[in-house]
Amino acid sequence: MARVTADGVGIRFLFDRQSRVVTETLSHLRRRGSESWGLRDVSFELRPGEAVALVGRSGSGKTTLLRTIAGILAPDRGRIAVEGRVASLLSIDAGLMPILTGRENTRLLGVLAGLPRAEARRRVDAVRERTGLGRKFDRPVSSYSQGMRARLGFAVAEQSEPSILLLDEVHEALDHEFRTIVEERASETVRAGGIVVAAGHDHPMLERLCDRALLLQDGRVARDGPFDDIQAAYLGEDGTSE
Amino acid sequence: MTVAEASARERDDAHTARLRARAADVLLALTESDLRARYGRGPWRLVKWLLDPFAVVGIYLLLVTVVLERGGRAPGLAIACAVVPFQLVMSTIVSALNAVPQRSSIILNMAFERVLIPVASTLTETIAFAASLVLVALMMVVYGIPPTFAVAWLPLVLALNVVLGVAAAYGASLLGLWLPDLRPFAISFVRTMFFLAPGLVPLSEIGGRANDLLRINPLTGLFEAYRSILVYGHRPAAWQLLYPLAAAALLLAVFVSVYVRDQREFAKVL
Repeated sequence: MARVTADGVGIRFLFDRQSRVVTETLSHLRRRGSESWGLRDVSFELRPGEAVALVGRSGSGKTTLLRTIAGILAPDRGRIAVEGRVASLLSIDAGLMPILTGRENTRLLGVLAGLPRAEARRRVDAVRERTGLGRKFDRPVSSYSQGMRARLGFAVAEQSEPSILLLDEVHEALDHEFRTIVEERASETVRAGGIVVAAGHDHPMLERLCDRALLLQDGRVARDGPFDDIQAAYLGEDGTSE
Repeated sequence: MTVAEASARERDDAHTARLRARAADVLLALTESDLRARYGRGPWRLVKWLLDPFAVVGIYLLLVTVVLERGGRAPGLAIACAVVPFQLVMSTIVSALNAVPQRSSIILNMAFERVLIPVASTLTETIAFAASLVLVALMMVVYGIPPTFAVAWLPLVLALNVVLGVAAAYGASLLGLWLPDLRPFAISFVRTMFFLAPGLVPLSEIGGRANDLLRINPLTGLFEAYRSILVYGHRPAAWQLLYPLAAAALLLAVFVSVYVRDQREFAKVL
């Protein structure tokens, strides 16, 4: 059963005196510059069968929150509990290594996503089918267009049969046909008791997909409620979606 | 032991086995992708793998042994016993310096066992290094030195070489991320370590205080261990194995703990 619980989560960024982000160890070794909080005291619960939109201006903490749910970032304060297999599509490259072919990326990312090696190999042909890339599947990803990368990235993310699907704006770069497929798959995940968290500025798509939204402002959850109410509050406050 | 305790222990064992299998899968997947990137996919990749060590160290060995006509017992082989193991350490460090940034697209998109990245760099370089052993065998043939029973110690020395590589890889991965501008200096420092060890001349041919000082460098024990087995045909002295092992253990203790703490923040820095 999928579930995400965040309790007072904070993510801190440390900077050196040249304003470069540094790790905590390095900040101890060098003279520290400043710090800022990407997320502050973020608390919420995502229940099985929910599709939740993250809305807010650029820099409000949407990607940082998605990375924290994905386990890519660990909270500096508070705690987050994630139950279920997570698949994330957080950049247009979706973790793809440009020097590797579609097939090689599928195997590598399948294993990193949690599949045993033999299973990841078995699923390669199914991923190839889903991407519709044909013979290009065996060419290096560096030769792919942005849309082709997004297709491969989504198909690879899907192969681990996630119960929690995280989407960060990348679906906005997809062509109409594949965007429909992404929306269908996301809806299937929700119907099967999974969780979808989508961030972006494509509000019509988020509206079709999500019934709940979190409005992020300066790393805090400013509002949490039905998508329509949050969208109205966001657009009303901003006058525009971006 | 009660039934409940036995059952709990069985569960723990199964969990440990799953974690080990998972670590092996991740390590192999990362290494396989590195090797693909390095050697390509065509039928020539085996040839490239075999010829790579000759391109990297073969020319150098020819220069020192044939052109400079060095004396002593099997001078080319004695130098190979230093150059080849050093090449594993050096190439592992060079690879590890870029290991984290090179995988930034994956690190920024998904959670996985990032702690294995330096080990994967070492494994990749170890596979590449394996071809260098052909070079060493070839030199033994050229100098007419038959292997003795001491060769049974070789796997242990190879393992020590790999452990030293892993230890250096954790430090190099952190340095490559923390201070990317210092990568060329790090490479120069490691090269200097070669010349502060008996790389070109066996330790037995170095006298006086220099002989004692060179032993401080962990590479000295490693180079001399290879020479003991392959050039002189006897088992390596205990210090030749234990001193580099202690140095590797110290480096691992320091860098692995820092790496484990810092890897939670890689996505902030990349």
